[in-house]
Amino acid sequence: MTERPMIAKWPSCLTFVLLTTLLAVAAAAPRAWAASLQEIKQRGYLVVATEDDFRPFEFVKDGKPTGFDNELVEELRKYAPFEIKQEILPWTGLLAGVSTGKYDIAITAAIITKERKQSLDFTSPIADATHYYVKRKSDNSIKAIKDLSGKTVGVQAGSALLGRLPELETMLKGGGGKLGKVVEYTSYPEAYQDLALGRTDYVVNTIINLKTLVAEKPNVFEIGQPVSGKSFPAWAVKKGNGELLAYMNEFIAKQKASGKFAELQKKWFGQEFSDLPITFEPEF
Amino acid sequence: MSTADIFAILQGAVTTASLSGVAILLGLPLGLLLALTRWANIPIVAPLVTVYVSILRATPLVTLLLLLFFALPNIGVPIGAISAAVLALTMNTSAFNCEVWRAGLMSFPKDQYEAAQSVGMQAGQRLRRIVLPQVARACLPGLVNEMSLLIKVTPVLAVVGVVDITRAAVRIGAETYEPLPPFFVALAIYLPIVYAIVCLQRLTERRLARAEAE
Repeated sequence: MTERPMIAKWPSCLTFVLLTTLLAVAAAAPRAWAASLQEIKQRGYLVVATEDDFRPFEFVKDGKPTGFDNELVEELRKYAPFEIKQEILPWTGLLAGVSTGKYDIAITAAIITKERKQSLDFTSPIADATHYYVKRKSDNSIKAIKDLSGKTVGVQAGSALLGRLPELETMLKGGGGKLGKVVEYTSYPEAYQDLALGRTDYVVNTIINLKTLVAEKPNVFEIGQPVSGKSFPAWAVKKGNGELLAYMNEFIAKQKASGKFAELQKKWFGQEFSDLPITFEPEF
Repeated sequence: MSTADIFAILQGAVTTASLSGVAILLGLPLGLLLALTRWANIPIVAPLVTVYVSILRATPLVTLLLLLFFALPNIGVPIGAISAAVLALTMNTSAFNCEVWRAGLMSFPKDQYEAAQSVGMQAGQRLRRIVLPQVARACLPGLVNEMSLLIKVTPVLAVVGVVDITRAAVRIGAETYEPLPPFFVALAIYLPIVYAIVCLQRLTERRLARAEAE
């Protein structure tokens, strides 16, 4: 029972074999079972994933999930003949969880983009998500879009907003300016904090998120002008899960018809979006 | 910040403490077992342990966790967030513990071992009576170091929906748009948790020293 020098070549070649096998298994495994509507009805539950720090859509207040989407989840519980199992998690793993079939649907404000449409299908839009910029109220150097030239911008990593910054870049270039340094954050609360601290000059997010922010902190932040064209958030299911998508679209249509949708929009966003399209084909 | 918010962070503390506690309790003996396997150079198993340790030490915890959480259901193993978290933490810490234990075993004086052999002690006896008491004491600071590191990597568990101290604080910051107060509370909770482990280390060291003196 004494320590002998290990044959060095053994482990490294084994490591390689094992790693390759592992990756192969992970990659070649049957693309997971995102349950179809029939399977959901049979097993008796739908797995819904929501975020936990995305006010006003979904956030946690006093330990309880609340916000626009969470109130709709409550409506869905009354509406659906099956049980709703809710998982609350950060944005990071959310869409990956839906596209791998871990969750059946992401009930969050996921902006519809071309890239996401490759692995996900989106329901009818739930709000308007035109991008605006927000700045420090005390910062007088920014009055119009052209003033954003060369300034540091904060956005969420992996967000649709990051993907549409080229639109702003085009706007700025039209006036002879340029897009400044882009700082990416894992979520918006940190981006706002850095803006307040002066580490960035403006943050780009959707009109709804920024309105809520400014309503909460009117002395710190101020909303600017739109920096993108049309954009809409919606709920996402795994690509090809058409039955579930149709079921959820029907649910949304019924909520719109009953006036519940408008009521919740007014409550959480401060305004109604009555002219939302039923389907939306993103350009970006 | 309301009292409900502080209560939410405390609930996160229970999650952090229990998940890292379970991982430590499982990871300590598992690490020792792995180290003994390598130390004894058991054919076939020892090289496999080497591979296990090399892979896990090279894999970021968050990657391992996402892999377990999303890939295992793909191959027909249903796994929840909590089980995936415990599994990832245990696998991760056992690899590092293995190396700490192994360092202790390798520096163990051979002559003592041979002396025990010469008086006719069985392998199990030699391990229990001669090797482990001394090795455990030598390894304790390294092991406690790894424990305190483990507690501080638990915020990555949030990726799969586990609400630990940090995530609870993040949620409150997202609701109030005031991220600093909850982070101060979070910090104030991490300190006593890690301090408790250090105290436990001192207590154990003192007991081991006393046992040796007798």
